[in-house]
Amino acid sequence: MTSSSPSPLSLTRRGFLAAAGSAAAAWLAFESRDVLAAGMHAAHAQRFDHLSPADAVDIEAACAEIIPTDDTPGAREAKVVYFIDKALGTFAKDQRDVFAKGAHELRTRAAKRRAGARSFAGLPAADRIAVIASLEKDKHPFFDALRGATIAGMFANPEYGGNHDKAGWKLIGFDDRFSWAEPFGWYDRNV
Amino acid sequence: MSDHHHSTLVPLQQSTVRYRPDDAVDFVIVGSGAAGGVVAKELSTAGFRVVVLEQGPWHTERDFIHDEVAIFDRSLLSNDWARSPNTFRATEKETAKVKPSLAYGRMVGGTSVHFSANFWRFREIDFKEASVKGTLAGTGLADWPISYQDLEPYYTKVDWEIGVAGAPGPYDPPRSRGYPMPPHPPKSTGVLLEIGAKKLGYKPFPAPMAIASRPYDGRSQCAQCGFCLGFGCEVRAKSSSLVTVIPKAVATGRCEIRPHAYVRKIETDARGRVTGVKYFDADKRDVFQRAKAVVVCANGAETPKLLLNSKSNLFPQGLANTSGIVGKHLMFNGAGLSTGVFEHEVNGYKGLIATRVVWDLYELDPKLGLHGGGGFDYRFDTPPIQFANGGLPTDAPKWGAEFKKLLRHNYTRTIYCFGHTTSLPVPTNSISLDPTVKDEWGVPAIRMTYRDHPQDLKLNDYFAERGEEMLEASGAVKTWREKATSQSFSVHLLGTCRMGNDPKSSVVDKFNRAHDVKNLFVVDGSSLVTSGRGQPTMTIQALAFRAGENIARFAKRGEI
Repeated sequence: MTSSSPSPLSLTRRGFLAAAGSAAAAWLAFESRDVLAAGMHAAHAQRFDHLSPADAVDIEAACAEIIPTDDTPGAREAKVVYFIDKALGTFAKDQRDVFAKGAHELRTRAAKRRAGARSFAGLPAADRIAVIASLEKDKHPFFDALRGATIAGMFANPEYGGNHDKAGWKLIGFDDRFSWAEPFGWYDRNV
Repeated sequence: MSDHHHSTLVPLQQSTVRYRPDDAVDFVIVGSGAAGGVVAKELSTAGFRVVVLEQGPWHTERDFIHDEVAIFDRSLLSNDWARSPNTFRATEKETAKVKPSLAYGRMVGGTSVHFSANFWRFREIDFKEASVKGTLAGTGLADWPISYQDLEPYYTKVDWEIGVAGAPGPYDPPRSRGYPMPPHPPKSTGVLLEIGAKKLGYKPFPAPMAIASRPYDGRSQCAQCGFCLGFGCEVRAKSSSLVTVIPKAVATGRCEIRPHAYVRKIETDARGRVTGVKYFDADKRDVFQRAKAVVVCANGAETPKLLLNSKSNLFPQGLANTSGIVGKHLMFNGAGLSTGVFEHEVNGYKGLIATRVVWDLYELDPKLGLHGGGGFDYRFDTPPIQFANGGLPTDAPKWGAEFKKLLRHNYTRTIYCFGHTTSLPVPTNSISLDPTVKDEWGVPAIRMTYRDHPQDLKLNDYFAERGEEMLEASGAVKTWREKATSQSFSVHLLGTCRMGNDPKSSVVDKFNRAHDVKNLFVVDGSSLVTSGRGQPTMTIQALAFRAGENIARFAKRGEI
């Protein structure tokens, strides 16, 4: 997190204190660079406006390691990569370079693990996990950026482009009814 | 808002009266928040012509969306750090660096619009802790010039005019009248707090909240949406200045609320009397609004900034600052934090932030050697993004299959035990002007200097430990706590223009009048001499009712 970029945690007393000193800083963190307007990528029905097709594929694969798909949808099904693409064109414009450099870093590390590997997404699962683990271990700035963006894309309101079909909210049990009455939980019902 | 039944809301009134800038109104009030709204209502209903200058916009319920990104990342309702940067340093020896260090509601109604509405009264001890418990090295701990008894009628005014729900508990200070609304239902967080607290011999009681538990004064009861902290209330249940006192001030026909008016300087004449204020309008045009008197209610950071930026030949150290202590004794309130995960669903995200509190440690056994004290609540105040960022156990993985599993399991089962604690008034903790950094309007930026007194860090650790014990007693299956570290960010901005009887050691007198300037008043969190136990707004509003009544009295007698 740069000094001028607030964390989404920072407005609340508890939230700020919980984040202080942890690696959980927000993803709003970076510098800027012009990015070529991206074309349609074969794997995706939607158009990317800011991520290059190759970057989109690798970033999507990396997000899917942060919140993987198991018996429930993960970052891929929640369309987190579209959230990131949209954010890079709007409130996170100044972070395009971080994602471009980050995608490049993913490929560099992929090639180190597997000679000839040209993408991160094409690595076997164990190698993808090892690459993300190496970013975390090295405290590479893209790790926090990737993690923060994945979390934001998983749990932000769906109109930002991620949290598709409210996959993130369904995962954790958050119901967006915004109107509740007793009982609120198990303990005020049963105790 | 699909199935909740609430009364139909009449539209929030817009300003009915307009004053020309060259019309010397009776009062200009700088800021429309918890304090400014109350003072505006008191002075306009007393018959005075009032202009309230608010730097932010005038929102309606339509603007209050449940959007975590817009609220927390894009500063939808709060000060925007990109346009209004501040600098921070821990000690005076350092050069301060740009770093977001404070947040407040930047809109009509101020922080009262987006706060969580915990509304604790201070107790008798908070006003006289220095003389009862003794002072401490390295602090400016002092008694207030007023007592709890002096303020009690105004606390009761806040209860009834603002609208507070609650029920007197075992540690409630003496009150002249009961609560106007019954407490909110306890939620699972409240039920569990009661279980744990009682096992430890504590006496929990309903949390006093400035949120309507039944229809009140033309406003809806709470829909229990769960989006209080950081968010505006779209059913008008939260008793903010926006929906309580400001509509009443506007209805007098004598009070103009002027949004998008950012005051940069208070002007004085050759006799040292205030003549009005200079502000930037929405188009950044410089406007001078004349006034017979000015009341500054801009919050504990913006108020000292404005006074320090209002230098003149007569007041070279800044306005109302011959004492040299404007901006000093900044207090935040501390926090002792622990977390528990429970077997069954708590669903803390539904409903208001706190429903039960524990005040048994408000004053501590002297043998502990700790200053001050605190109170606890159980809460779950992290919307999904914030929870995923920082709500899991400190030893949990940060990504991958296990991370996802924990998010899935813990979101509905996590409770934060928040120990709200005292901050000591340390003279070197301060708001001053940054020598180089300016905001988007070219106004010198706030420089914050803050390091928690070592005693406060010990106190926070003590409360985190007691909180973790309580979570265990409540039956948590996993608990952890956070080691206290010195804070560098706050939403509680207190003590920077403290009140007192001695002009050498205080900025305002016991009626919130500046010692140095007869027609200047300062009423907000900056007036507080001590920080209480973590919930200052109730006291800020009680002071505002008291000041408003007295300022009106002085004005009617020609004593301003």
